[in-house]
Amino acid sequence: MSSGADGSGGALEIAERALSRASGGEAEAVVLTEHSGFARYAGSEVHQPTLIENVEVQLRLVRDGRAGVATTNRTDADGLDRLARRAAEVLASASEDPDLPPLAPPAHYPEVDGYDEETAALGADGQAGLAAAAIAASGDLDLYGYFTSGVCETAIASSTGLRASQRTTDATCLALAAGDGASGYAVRTAWRAAEIDPAAVAAEAVAKAARTRGAQGAEPARYRAVLEPYAIAELLYYFSFDTFNGLGLLEERSYFSGRIGERVFDAKVTLVDDALDQRGLPSAFDFEGTPKERVVLVEDGVVRGPVWDRATAARAGLESTGHALPASSRAFGAIPTAVALAPGEAESVDQLAELVGDGIYVTRVHYLGVVDPRAGVITGMTRDGTFRIRDGKVAEPLVNLRFTVSMPDLLADVPGLTRETWLVNQSDFYDERWAYAYRSPAIATGCFNVTGAGSGPGL
Amino acid sequence: VRDACAAGLDAAVGAGATYADARAVVRRSQSVATKNGRVDTLTDAETEGIGVRVLVGGAWGFACDRRLSAEGARDAALRATTFAAAAGSRRARALVPLEPRSGTYRTPIERDPFSVSLADKVELCLRAEAALRHPDVKVAQAFVRALGERKLFLSSDGAEIDQEIVECGAGIDAMAVGEGLFQVRSYPSQHSGASAQAGWEYVESLGLEREAPRVAEQASALLRADACPPGTTTVVIDAEQMQLQVHESVGHPTELDRIYGTEAAYAGTSFLQPDDLDSLRYGSEHMNITADATTAGGLGTFAFDDEGVPASRDAVVAEGVLRGFLASRETAARLGHGAGGSMRADGWARMPLVRMTNLHLEPGSGSLEELLSEVDEGLFLETNRSWSIDDKRLNFQFGTQVAWEIKGGRLGRMLRDATYTGVTPVFWGSLDRVAGPEEWRMHGLTNCGKGQPGQHAHVSHGASPARFRNVQVGVKA
Repeated sequence: MSSGADGSGGALEIAERALSRASGGEAEAVVLTEHSGFARYAGSEVHQPTLIENVEVQLRLVRDGRAGVATTNRTDADGLDRLARRAAEVLASASEDPDLPPLAPPAHYPEVDGYDEETAALGADGQAGLAAAAIAASGDLDLYGYFTSGVCETAIASSTGLRASQRTTDATCLALAAGDGASGYAVRTAWRAAEIDPAAVAAEAVAKAARTRGAQGAEPARYRAVLEPYAIAELLYYFSFDTFNGLGLLEERSYFSGRIGERVFDAKVTLVDDALDQRGLPSAFDFEGTPKERVVLVEDGVVRGPVWDRATAARAGLESTGHALPASSRAFGAIPTAVALAPGEAESVDQLAELVGDGIYVTRVHYLGVVDPRAGVITGMTRDGTFRIRDGKVAEPLVNLRFTVSMPDLLADVPGLTRETWLVNQSDFYDERWAYAYRSPAIATGCFNVTGAGSGPGL
Repeated sequence: VRDACAAGLDAAVGAGATYADARAVVRRSQSVATKNGRVDTLTDAETEGIGVRVLVGGAWGFACDRRLSAEGARDAALRATTFAAAAGSRRARALVPLEPRSGTYRTPIERDPFSVSLADKVELCLRAEAALRHPDVKVAQAFVRALGERKLFLSSDGAEIDQEIVECGAGIDAMAVGEGLFQVRSYPSQHSGASAQAGWEYVESLGLEREAPRVAEQASALLRADACPPGTTTVVIDAEQMQLQVHESVGHPTELDRIYGTEAAYAGTSFLQPDDLDSLRYGSEHMNITADATTAGGLGTFAFDDEGVPASRDAVVAEGVLRGFLASRETAARLGHGAGGSMRADGWARMPLVRMTNLHLEPGSGSLEELLSEVDEGLFLETNRSWSIDDKRLNFQFGTQVAWEIKGGRLGRMLRDATYTGVTPVFWGSLDRVAGPEEWRMHGLTNCGKGQPGQHAHVSHGASPARFRNVQVGVKA
């Protein structure tokens, strides 16, 4: 069945046509459509405006414990005929997998929003105009970043009778305000573009940048720290690759390995994945057609478990939680893309600084790398707004700092979190468009390990 | 398709574009992976479309359409010009003049990878992966990939270029688990192995099955190895890790778009300035880096880049001094130096960006054994495991899958969890020897990310093992 009023039927019709060409065994057609625009700016002018129109059709055949996938972006009769032939050739080459689960059965899908006509109607003029609004608010600093919006549709039709389609919109404004020795950062994401005020996003970046001039060094040491939502959300995203991933648990590279049911984090830490949250970028089903559900990853510091797709769940003797990735990324396992860190009681980041007393304030992080997946060790750099915290107050600006942190240690000592949470975009829009975001408060931690220093803020 | 591209150019110029180019791309790719005796990935993907880039009133615009038809190209051209006009420009843009060129290029191959059946590819993976089996190896996996891309480029300058690229790649990973540890060993490199612009003969030449037992044994041994201790020491880095060192700390910082700030919001900028050319000391006299879009087998090899600029081989760093940048026609004109030649796009639906082609550390002299023999105490680091570098490409930290203690010029015990960190010009300044041509190896990687929306570039790097003094190692969380 369709997820409801939001399914336009266009993608589902293509999926039906692709499915009709499959013969023998089970078959599943997944169609992803994209109509998007990117007004990317640098030096306060749009320099790389990009408009994309595409339709991707994936046909997956399953027979006798074998599976094969072929993909095309041709939706004419010849293109779909060729797709079916290639998928059959792929299937014929597969070896038998006794644990291969059958295709997902038909399901009732939760009603979710996530589609906005005004956002869908934004064209080149509108996108360029919203980018211009951000640029106009950057004052004496130059602005770098983008405004993007898109409308996408995901549709699935399978031989099990499953029919699902959902049309979604998304919009993001990213602002890096920079000048000589100064830079600040802000980003907002929503499925309604009207909820994003590009001038306000730029103003936040400008205000942050103004505080970063005259940055000083900091000695490598283990600090207490305040991390803005941008920083902690991205750290959690990288932590999720192995630790919140059912495949990571099966392969024992997850920090959760052997720790299900144990209290390993501060009791203030609760993490859920909830793609049904209307405040995020909601979706009704995953790329296998399994309904989305709210999954508790960590509850009051106690490990509850990772997320699963059908293949990993079958191996674990469990049910899919609705976290299958697109076929092109399926080998990574099941990764949560709507993680929310529960808020705390702090009224502001200033109150978190008071809890920290003496430490480091981090606006955002850059170029993270997983050093040790099983131990949850991640390295990266701070960027565009790093400050010293002294006597409970955010004090002088610092240069960009290299950190090498154990996420379990970072989350084990949490003096506080803010009451307010922000939705932080995590998609870099590679390959097929698929926007996703984490929701997070700012967090205070007792353990943030600085291991080096880099350059100062600014370009 | 040629007529479709021409129709797109006509539409763009008719709509006010002072420059336009159209790229029609048809791409086919196959991915096969097996894991623990089962097929994990088996896909055959095709995609096609036309991307049209325009310059209107000094502002760029880009739009694409999946229809390989005149109608699709015209629609893309008109949307691109509309976006460019809406975006506007704060400054005039000049492009380095380019003689109209026509030409063709095809990757020289001995055996078309798409003529090899998927069943044979699965069988190769299963055999290689079976040879990885070991009691401590929790996950054994093998993978092969093939890509074919036909690309027709027309520009309003009169260029007409037809190129056909063929790539192949393969690799194996052994992931061992025990004692609360997770360790991995890979061959020929991590991240889905290594790739080259070549036919199936490249995959066969890798000898995955032959190397698998050693890879599995080392993954297992890492579970019992001591952790790399922290300190400052001499390191000898193998050719595989050197490719990433070159990529991250020389390739990206010498991209002129980063230097001019146009990548600031995502990948970052550079510690280099335009006027550093011919004056900045990047490293020691042993450091010679070449950008070479003509290297046989390189993933960044072509006859013309995605602006129609002919391929060339140019010094980027010579005897430690900065001698060149990676550039587009626009950034080269802005600098007043060079002709561009490094513009590449990821398929038909993305705008070309300044990208690496093939960037090599030129060999020095002597064998790896000679490099090691001159080290009283140090580490030999092999195969990348993790990487991170700051937005200006100064402060980096890399992890390798394995380290070997060097004592008295000889390799000693194995160490796990090795990391090293440094600051780019200081680190390259500590380079005191590069091994010779006989040790030089080229690795191709397919996951170089850049741009918004994101693009993956396929690039190759050649290097010999190299030795650096006074390097900080063993960074702990």
